[in-house]
Amino acid sequence: MRRGPARLVLLLATSLATGGALGCASSSGPEIRTRQGTLVHDPLEPVNRKIFWFNDQLDRFVLEPVATGWDWALPDPAQRGIKRFFTNLLFPQFLLNDLLQGKFEGAGLATGRFVVNSTAGILGFMDPANDWLDWKPQDEDFGQSLGWWGSGAGPYFVLPLLGPSNPRDLVGLAVDSASSPIPWFAPWFYLTVPMGGINLINTRSLHLEDVKEAKASALDYYSFVRNAYLDYRENQIHDGKEPEAAPAQQDLYYPDSDAP
Amino acid sequence: MPRRRTLLRLLPALLLALLAGGLPRPAAAASARDVIERTSARVLEILRTPDLPIDEKRRRIEQIAYDTFDFDTMSKLVLARGWRDLSADQQQEFVAQFRTQLALTYGRRIDHYGQEQLKITGERTEPRGDVTVLSRIMGGPYDNTAIDYRLRQGDGTWKIIDVIVEGVSLVGSYRSQFQEILDRGGPQRVLALLREKNAAGASVEVAAPPAKQN
Repeated sequence: MRRGPARLVLLLATSLATGGALGCASSSGPEIRTRQGTLVHDPLEPVNRKIFWFNDQLDRFVLEPVATGWDWALPDPAQRGIKRFFTNLLFPQFLLNDLLQGKFEGAGLATGRFVVNSTAGILGFMDPANDWLDWKPQDEDFGQSLGWWGSGAGPYFVLPLLGPSNPRDLVGLAVDSASSPIPWFAPWFYLTVPMGGINLINTRSLHLEDVKEAKASALDYYSFVRNAYLDYRENQIHDGKEPEAAPAQQDLYYPDSDAP
Repeated sequence: MPRRRTLLRLLPALLLALLAGGLPRPAAAASARDVIERTSARVLEILRTPDLPIDEKRRRIEQIAYDTFDFDTMSKLVLARGWRDLSADQQQEFVAQFRTQLALTYGRRIDHYGQEQLKITGERTEPRGDVTVLSRIMGGPYDNTAIDYRLRQGDGTWKIIDVIVEGVSLVGSYRSQFQEILDRGGPQRVLALLREKNAAGASVEVAAPPAKQN
């Protein structure tokens, strides 16, 4: 309990500093226009590509082999159950961010899902809230709240180990990890690290084929991931709805109409 | 009285004739939504046919894809302003290569699908006439994934010009990749890379129809 706030302050400070430093350089580098119309820059692309490559090597030689073993040992339904267990534990994060975005119905839904799934769903391993009550899983985090409140993403960058991010999502990550309930119950390294490890390996094992497929089909894997990350996050912020005016749609679907 | 009966009988016939004349050809009457509904039903039927060899399934689904996707438009969209830097021959080759690339990508994992359903949840008319059909996957490992299909009308039929999975656009994804490659190596490099990819992935021979002239 004591560690939570301290960790939060430290992470916030670091991420704000990084974000600020990168923010200054945000208008240089290649431009990427997201599907929903935001212009994002990748000012550190050469460095980012190196970090991306490093992360990919780590995945290829450590995470993927371990996850392959996990996948071999555990049947798919068990893996999905473990995934649901960890998602269920994110309830404080969902609730907090629903409230921050004024989504009271979402907050109620999150609470309902947590209560039903923690009990009838056997500690969250099952999802009766979705299967029986049609209470769809949702996904809220602090990065989305910041976006919902109008914060821009800032420049795109790739973090060692953590992968694609931007200043907004880095701050989000700091707040989200502070709102995670796991460290509240036990000294963090006894529980958080093994649990985080299991979650990581399990999640990776659920996407063995997807990642293989993405790598096989991508013509430039780095920009494939960058584009997917930016579009996916924007879509999450808007809860899958299309914003009122989407200027980029003009560019994406009518590239000839207003050539610069 | 008999005259009246004749009239009564005539009326529906007349109405029918009027309707038949006034309506466009049945094929053209299909709305964007119909196209998606029909296509997903046809694809699922093929996927669920037992005893059909996987290569045959793949071939049949590719054939459906050739009819439902507008590869010419998609090629222009993914290359955006770079499209004009290609010669007519290069453009033609690009369409063919890009189509093969998409077919390979989507054909590769066909054996993983079949248990899911596509539920159409709505549609949206875009500012300049395109229609986006909104749907969700029901069941299977990708349960509840949102998939939107953007369609454009040409020659009276609706064809898919983009697939958007959880907000990530297929066209957008390829565009950002082609942009990088165009910037560094120009059209030559783009075509070389596609040829290379297609050769590596072409474990199955695909009888693609000849590329349409633009």
